[in-house]
Amino acid sequence: MPDRSVMEETAQPPSSSPPGQAELERVRARDPEALAAFFERYFDRVYATVYRLLGDRTLAEDMTQEVFLKVHRAAHQLDPTRDPGPWLMTIAHNACRDLWRSGAWKMTRRAAPLDGESPLASTLASPAPDPERALLSAERERLVQEALAKLPEPLRVAIVLHDYQGLGHEEVAAITGIHHAAARKRYSRALAALARLLEGSLG
Amino acid sequence: MTHEPERVTPQEARARDAVRGLGAPRADAAFRERLKRDFVTGRIGERRVLELPVAWHRRLAWRLALAPVAAALAVVVALANRGPAWTVRGTLGDGIAVVDQFPVPLGHADELQRRLHPGARLRMPEGGQVELAAAGSMVIQVAAGTELTLPASPGRWFGRSVTATTAHGVIRVTTGPAFHGARLHVDTPEASVDVLGTTLAVICEPAGTCVCVFDGVVQVGARGAAQEPVSSGHRRFVFNDGRPPEMAGIRPPEIGRLDDLRARQRSWLERGSD
Repeated sequence: MPDRSVMEETAQPPSSSPPGQAELERVRARDPEALAAFFERYFDRVYATVYRLLGDRTLAEDMTQEVFLKVHRAAHQLDPTRDPGPWLMTIAHNACRDLWRSGAWKMTRRAAPLDGESPLASTLASPAPDPERALLSAERERLVQEALAKLPEPLRVAIVLHDYQGLGHEEVAAITGIHHAAARKRYSRALAALARLLEGSLG
Repeated sequence: MTHEPERVTPQEARARDAVRGLGAPRADAAFRERLKRDFVTGRIGERRVLELPVAWHRRLAWRLALAPVAAALAVVVALANRGPAWTVRGTLGDGIAVVDQFPVPLGHADELQRRLHPGARLRMPEGGQVELAAAGSMVIQVAAGTELTLPASPGRWFGRSVTATTAHGVIRVTTGPAFHGARLHVDTPEASVDVLGTTLAVICEPAGTCVCVFDGVVQVGARGAAQEPVSSGHRRFVFNDGRPPEMAGIRPPEIGRLDDLRARQRSWLERGSD
């Protein structure tokens, strides 16, 4: 595991307990205060997920906006008795899948590199306590993100949702609309492919 | 986290741990603030379409006002694009040519020129030939007994590909500087010829079509089949009985005729007009 102390700028997305039923009822009613709390609770998680799936900050911003737009429009469909996390992840996954299927995405992928702002650059700009370790960590992060980007999209989703977001195979299966066993199998294939891509580069 | 135990190789475990160790990238603070404000106020998505604050009736008025201007502009451009008209550079022999079923004696060059236009069907008498020119672009010599549907001369900017059709007889073509970038397509009953700048003869005979190339390169093939390049000094014969085309040296009589045509018309073509 990489040293988490050098990642203060980029901490793992929070996995705090879901909001209570009363609060979700207010989100359903589009109460501004509840919406603000909801946004604060889930923004980082949504943004981080779509960023890891798309590998591009601008696209991640567009997609995050798309997700919250859909949430706002469908707020009345929110089930206040359940954790809205998987619901949000389903919306995020569907939005990314729609993008991947679009002609515009295929066109941009032909020429576009990964994110223009490399983790290395942001690390150099940040006042890290140990520059050498920060550099190593940033380089490692870049390698992993590049390897993720090389995975076929369904496999990338499997890895990001399971390992990065910490969702169980059951939840991943529900989000991606496949059977539990298929989700497990897909994750195994994804992990094997990722391991091959990272072979020799993680030190 | 709710990971179930997985049976993984050490390499896979390292890859998995690397993903689990990825940080959460920070979004741009201004973006986050704006999105939060829009989400909370319900204005999210409102500014996705740039609407010009113009009333529909004013837009319609503009369209109505601009439509005749656009139409006039299109007419002006189409007129300006037109290539030079066909002129009669000279006739040889006598007899009566037929242009679009209208008989015109070869001696009446003005009348002949007046009746010739792109798409006109010209049938030459057995005893005479005519040379037609599009200034700077090309000269077509239409030999005795030939039937030709006259092509347009290539447009200045667009419509640079033109087509002539000949049913039987001989046409000889030489091109000038203004032809550069244009294409003359000649259709015969059995052959398809593409001219990109050259001097050549297309000879329609009972057995097929012979294309003799004096200079440059011409693409020749049976109709509906692939074309092949025929270079200077060669000919390709496309049979009308299905035999494969034959390649050989240029017909000796055509060397003199094409050389003569090119030599006589070159300076005129290079000048662009009389």
